[in-house]
Amino acid sequence: MENVPSDSIVRCEGCYKEAAIDDAYCTACGYPIKGTPLQQKIFVSRQIKAEFDVVKFKRRVSKAGSTLYYLAGIFILGACLSFFSKKDDPNVLAIVLPEVILAVLFLVLADYSKKKTLACFISGLCLFVITELLGIAAGTQISLLYMILVIVIIGFLVLGIKSAIEIERIKKENNIV
Amino acid sequence: MLTGEDEISEKVTCVQCGALIALKGRFCNHCGARQSIINTSERNWRLLKQAALFFAIDIAACCLAKFTDAFDTFFWYLLLDISMALSAIAFFAINWKENKTLLVWRNFSWQKLAAYGAIAMGGSIFVHYSVGWLNIVIYSRDEHYFGLLKGNFLAELLVVFFTAVMPALFEELGYRGYMLQTMLKVADQEQAVYISAFLFAIIHMSFISLFWLIPFALFLGFTRIRENTIWYGIFFHFCFNLTACLFEFW
Repeated sequence: MENVPSDSIVRCEGCYKEAAIDDAYCTACGYPIKGTPLQQKIFVSRQIKAEFDVVKFKRRVSKAGSTLYYLAGIFILGACLSFFSKKDDPNVLAIVLPEVILAVLFLVLADYSKKKTLACFISGLCLFVITELLGIAAGTQISLLYMILVIVIIGFLVLGIKSAIEIERIKKENNIV
Repeated sequence: MLTGEDEISEKVTCVQCGALIALKGRFCNHCGARQSIINTSERNWRLLKQAALFFAIDIAACCLAKFTDAFDTFFWYLLLDISMALSAIAFFAINWKENKTLLVWRNFSWQKLAAYGAIAMGGSIFVHYSVGWLNIVIYSRDEHYFGLLKGNFLAELLVVFFTAVMPALFEELGYRGYMLQTMLKVADQEQAVYISAFLFAIIHMSFISLFWLIPFALFLGFTRIRENTIWYGIFFHFCFNLTACLFEFW
């Protein structure tokens, strides 16, 4: 343990914050300062496990972010297909513009999800659900493959939301920056 | 420098061993027990599911009113509107003890009220002309929903009630009251405002209108946070919708 010059203060080995010399446990991270070597090892292994969990959840968050990018791509593709197949239709703008708006929205949400993860995933999920409902109302043909794709996209976004919440909890609980 | 009495008042008892520990400490320095025993991720997930239920009820009501011919009557419109209002009240009342503070109108100021009213009316005029222009460019027509009611005073009053009074009251109660308050527990302030604003904007089910709905909802969200009451938002929303109604009638 690395002691600071003062006699009454020590530095915690778990989080490197200052602790009083009488403290049996660190008040910031719960590290057993006066515990047995086994207790200290168990604590450190728990911290390492928490860090691994963060990595696992970050991977899920990254997948959800990619899903938003894919959705933006799908809507851009849809807008292009609609434009070229109906370019002689006088209402072509009314057909293409909503798809372009959706593509831009998903692109913004995907890009911004790196900073405001939870807000972007919740917004993206709700936007996707509403888009699908509007599609059903407009009479879109629904195949089994399409249904599976929709469920997979919703699944990725829900997992992204759950993982973002878990990351925050683990970071708070274990003082991980 | 803290006096002896202050030091005692800055201490709390440990949830596990009962020893006196520092108020700011997250763990007990005697037994190592964590002091905040609430599982935040479980609580947050429960709150999100609750908010999702509120949003799903709104979506269901909007979809029924907009896309189902059987519900395209005044009776059903009234019933769906009332059900959405009741849903907003019920969800707001779930956490009544905490949410009731939002119904208190602190620091009431006529100047502020006038300023919010003026901004709302200015915004509504901008939206009216820009949406009219967009409708002509995109759909080659300008839409007037209530043109047929011109001159019918009672019908006009009903329209004002259902498009200015009801949405202002219950959308604010639902989205700036319940939804924003719930999101504030799950995410930071900025994210909470963004989520509630985005959900409010997309529930209107018009992607082209998002260009004004998102800034409108963000303004209402930040107003609710700044003023810590939903009444300025209700007044702003009412003035905005009333101006839109007046444009339709005159």
